This record gives sequence, structure tokens and C-alpha cells, in this order.
Amino acid sequence: MLETELLQKKFKDQLAVDGINFYMEKGESIGLLGPNGAGKSTTISMISSLIKPTTGDIRLNGKSVVKNPQLIREVLGVVPQEIALYEELSAYENLKFFGRIYKLRGKELEKKIHSVLNLVGLQERQKDLVKNYSGGMQRRINIAVALLHEPEILIMDEPTVGIDPQSRSYILDMVRQLNEERGMTVLYTSHYMEEVEKLCDRIYIMDHGKIIASGTKEELKSVLSNEETILVDMNPISKELMQTLEEDDEIIQVNEIDKGMKLIVPKGSNKLTSIFHQTEAFGVQVTNVNVQVPTLEDVFLHLTGRTLRD
Amino acid sequence: MKSVLLLQFTRLKRAPTLMISFVVLTIVFVAVIGGFGTSTNGKETVYAYGEGKTAAWLDLLNESNVYQFEMITKQEAQEQVKTGKLHYALELQPNNYQFLVGTEDPEQVSVQQYVQNVFQKERQLQQISLTVDDPAAIRDQIEASLDAPVLTVHTEALHETAYTDSSANRYQVMIGMSLYFVIYTIFNNLTNIIMEKRNGTWNRIILSPVRKWQVYMGHLFYCFVLGFMQIGIVFLVFRYLFGYNNEIDFLPTIVTISAYLFAIVSLGMLLLGVASKPQQLQAINPIVATGMAMLGGAFWPLDAVSNGIMIALSKAMPIRYGIEALKSAMLFNQGFEAVLQPIAFLLLFGVICMGIGINLMERVKN
Ligand SMILES: Nc1ncnc2c1ncn2[C@@H]1O[C@H](COP(=O)(O)OP(=O)(O)OP(=O)(O)O)[C@@H](O)[C@H]1O
Ligand SMILES: [Mg+2]
Repeated sequence: MLETELLQKKFKDQLAVDGINFYMEKGESIGLLGPNGAGKSTTISMISSLIKPTTGDIRLNGKSVVKNPQLIREVLGVVPQEIALYEELSAYENLKFFGRIYKLRGKELEKKIHSVLNLVGLQERQKDLVKNYSGGMQRRINIAVALLHEPEILIMDEPTVGIDPQSRSYILDMVRQLNEERGMTVLYTSHYMEEVEKLCDRIYIMDHGKIIASGTKEELKSVLSNEETILVDMNPISKELMQTLEEDDEIIQVNEIDKGMKLIVPKGSNKLTSIFHQTEAFGVQVTNVNVQVPTLEDVFLHLTGRTLRD
Repeated sequence: MKSVLLLQFTRLKRAPTLMISFVVLTIVFVAVIGGFGTSTNGKETVYAYGEGKTAAWLDLLNESNVYQFEMITKQEAQEQVKTGKLHYALELQPNNYQFLVGTEDPEQVSVQQYVQNVFQKERQLQQISLTVDDPAAIRDQIEASLDAPVLTVHTEALHETAYTDSSANRYQVMIGMSLYFVIYTIFNNLTNIIMEKRNGTWNRIILSPVRKWQVYMGHLFYCFVLGFMQIGIVFLVFRYLFGYNNEIDFLPTIVTISAYLFAIVSLGMLLLGVASKPQQLQAINPIVATGMAMLGGAFWPLDAVSNGIMIALSKAMPIRYGIEALKSAMLFNQGFEAVLQPIAFLLLFGVICMGIGINLMERVKN
């Protein structure tokens, strides 16, 4: 239904998006994952026709959106990354205005407002000013506005940034409901791996303006199917130790994490004994060890050499 | 467009303080600088005293529609001037006059000019009367031919010169201040456009079926209406509460205000195109508003300016044409022809600024 072809955006001399190809079928929910500055928001702005690509094209049902932005605007609901509401007005007044500019009037408008307020669970607080809302509630109204005109495609740019876990799981459930029950096509942007993992049928991973991997969760994880992850908590964290381990040919990758290090090793290589030998040699105390099957987080680490949120 | 316009009014309802304070500021400034209407009929009262056959002079003097002459006793006059309650008083003598002046007062100069004119004219008539048989007839004849002159020399010096006429002065202050403060209201509210672009609501609107020009129009029209309300409120307050009750040319007044507001809204758009950050605008707006008002004669009449460069600069200031046209419509009742030229300038100015402004603004994005 929607596809991009070698989409590129240059800001002065910075290449924010570097020739990406991606597609979405009707009713799919797609995750777009990447660290800060990967180019997610820029990609979304181009798809939603807010900025023009430097080169490349976007097609909706085969027709170019770049040449005719009205095409995509009619079917699109966008939840921007930043909260885009009139703070000094109430949630109801915000919804009323945004409904009006989508040509909704009278009874129909009231009905739609009622229904989206219900959906985001802010029926009771609708008369309160947006500026008096908590961050999570503002986020929910930010989403509600994009749903008023019942778009076919919903694009969400990091809709859960900086909010409490309760609001977050509420939003995730809501998005899943929209996708599964109403058949809404969803493009969900995030740098939380677990959100995308829970929510999306297919995932694109972006870094430095490029798509570095794509596919279903299982496909992505199969990249690492021959590997396993070992988490070692240690005290103190020794850089020399990690350097030494990195020189070991049988260890694929060593990364420092919160309380220790994360090692990726071939499955069944049984490296634990030699790791313990090394820690002892460096006088480092091991406080916890955990062997895991790979997560998407590990896939990302594997592909880019860094974690999603650094 | 209507939705965008209505939205702005809803937002105004939530935060009306700024708009109200500009109205109040204008009124306070005009009241302080221009003064309240001092007499109920809109005339300036001048106190006179004198003995003997002075009543005839008093009647003649009171034919003025600017001044009201009232007799008091000599003692009163001297006492009041001495204590400073009056700045001056007029002493009438059977064939002459004199001023008793306590404090310098620019008003006194124009009163003196007026009194001198009256005396001069009357003496001339008397001289002529002496040489003819039927003095009353010749008087009527002269009055008649003065009322329907063969040739009219049109001079506006009396009105246009600084402080020659207190009513002119008051209108100058009221018009100047209103047109000055309304610039702030308009510029401030145009900043909403930038704020919307920053906080993302602009993008939301752009993605809707509303066209971009409609969004701009909504904002511009809102500023226009707001400006009109502000000027309207100030003018009405002064008309009905402070006795600024000249006969005015209604339609030319309305058209002039509209053209002026259009010019200012457009200038605001130009500034938005030049400065893209709200902080920059906060710095630029007062400079432009005040600079323009100073050069354009909002704070003092341009006749008080002798510097050639300043006068040349004033000719590029929309506020100058607004003041000029409004004075002509509200003070001198010169009809439509007199305001056409300033209005033409204002419209041209507006179109040019708007064109450049929107172009700059839309280019910044790409
Ligand atoms: N208008 C712009 N002008 C110049 N550079 C820009 C502009 N918008 C984005 N960039 C740059 O393009 C790159 C990609 O930015 P983008 O906002 O798309 O990243 P993102 O993946 O959405 O990141 P985040 O997770 O922080 O939202 C960044 O390096 C950013 O600095
Ligand atoms: Mg972003």
C-alpha cells in the first residue's frame, strides 16, 4: 500500500536519511527502530509530506505522494514526537478544533470526540486545560487528536517517550487494539526494543540514516541464532579484562554494560570456564552471571556495535 | 479559515490580559498627554475680564467653534493667574485687548492668534463702514461674499502646526497613540504563527484538508479584527467618556483604519519572514514599532520636525499616512478625496510587505 524508494534527505551537508527502501501492506503494523538521530523522524516527515525528500519517491497505492501530497494526507493520522497541542485550551477544545479542520461538524464531531476520549481514557478530564495534564495524559491527547478523523494509516513517532509505565502500557494496548480490531495500518517509531517487539509484525532497524536490517522478529533474531549472550556483573569493572577477552578469537563481541559486560559467543562454545579464569587473573570479583538467548537489543548491538540508548 | 480564526478567539478568551493592557495603555497615554475634554461642548474655555463696552467683543469671540470665552472679574483673574490656577487670562478693552500671562502656555499663543484675527477683522469692517452711507448693508455684503468667496485659498496651517489648536493636538495624540499601540497587538499575535510552527500544531493543521493560505488568512484576519477592536474601543472611549466629540467622516475613517491595519499586518509578516525565532522577534518588534512611530509622527506632529532626513524617512512610514488620513477624516472633515492618497500608499505598502514576507517564510522551510 505504501512504499518508499531510495528515499534520501540532506540538511545542508548532513545526510539525515540515506536512501531507504521500505514498504507497508494494509493492516500491517510496522516498527521503525533506531537510536537518537538515526533519521526516524525525518523519514516520517517525508512520508507524511511535511518535508520534501532530496531524492527518491514515496508511493501510495502506486501513486507518487511527493508530487501530490494531498493523496497521503487524506488517509493519514500522525502522532508527532513532540506534543503538538494548544496548552492553554482544554482537551475538548483541542479536539474540537482539530476535528473542525478535518471538516467534522455538529453531532458527528461530538460523537468522534467522545469516542477518541473514551479510547485514550480521558473522558472525565476533557474540560481540564492541557497544560494541567501529566506528561502521560498529554501524550494520550496527542494521540487522540491523530485518531479523530479515523485515518487508514497511523504514524506514531515515539509516542511513549518520557512517560510513566502505566500510561505507556495503556498506549501500547490501545495501538494493538487499533491495529488488530479496526485493521488500522500502523507505523510505530521507537527506540524501545521491547515495545516494537510486542507490537509489530515487521521491524525496520535504522542507524545513521540507513536501514541496516529488516524483517519479522524471528527473522531478525535468526541473525544471531548461532550465538548466545553472556551477561557478567563484576566488581570492579575492568577495561583491561574486557580488552583481553576481546582478543580471544572465540568471543565475537565484548561490550561494557551497566554493572559489568556483555559477551556474544558462538552457541555451545562453553566459554564460561575461560571467562572465570580471566576474571580471577585480573582480580575481578564476579557477582552475577546470566546466559541468554539473543534479544532484538542484541541484534542491534551486533549490527551497530552500540546499544540503542547510549 | 473560519476554524483557525475562531481558535484564535478562543485562545484570546483564555489569555486576554495582553490585549486589554494595550487598550488601557493607549487610553492612559492619550489621557495624560492629550488631556481630557475640558468642556462639555468640546470647546476650550478661555477666561476674560474687562470693563466698559466689551460685551460685543465677547460675542464676536464666541463665534469660534474652538474656544469658549467666559467673563470673570478682574480680581478673580488676577488672583487665579497669580496662584497658577490659570496660566493666562484675556483682558478686553473697548477697543483693544491684552493678555495677562502667569505661566508660558502654548495654548495661549494660539488663543492670542485667534483674538488678534477677530479684532483685526472687526476693525477693518469698522473702517470700511465709516466711508459708506449704509454701514449695515456693506457689512452684510462683506459677510456674504466671505461666505461664498470667488477664490478659496485652502490653508491648513492652523490645524497642522504643532499646538495651534488644542482639539487638533488632542486628536493628534489619540490617533498617534492608538496607531502606535495597535502595532504591538498585531505583532504579538502574529508571533503565534511562529509559535505554532515551533510546537508542531502548525504541521498538524498543514496535514489536514485546510489549505495553507487559509491558515495564514485565519491568522491575518484575526490580527486585523483584533486591531480594529482595539482602535475602535479607544476611539469610542474618548468620544463618549472624554468628550472627543468632533463631527467625523465615518466611512473615510473606517476605510483608513482598515488600510492601515492591513499595512501593519503585512509589515508583521515581513518581520516574521526576516526573523524566524520568537526571541529575535521579541527584540525586533518594539524597535520597529517605536522607531516607526517616532519617525512617522505618532508621538509629536511632523511639523515639529525640521530635520530633512527625518522628514524624508517619515514618508516611508505607514503610520504617517494613517495619522494624516485619520486627522483629515476625524478633525478636518475633508471627505474621501483627502484620504485616497494615504490609503493608496498603505495598500501598496501592505501588498509589497505581504508578498516578500510570505515568500521569505515559505522559503526558509525548503
Ligand atoms: N530540520 C533539520 N535541519 C538540520 N538537520 C536536521 C533537521 N532535522 C533533523 N536533522 C538531523 O538529521 C538527523 C536525523 O534526525 P531525526 O530527527 O530524523 O532523528 P530521529 O531518529 O528521529 O532521532 P530521535 O530518536 O532523537 O527522535 C539528526 O542528526 C538531526 O540533527
Ligand atoms: Mg525523532
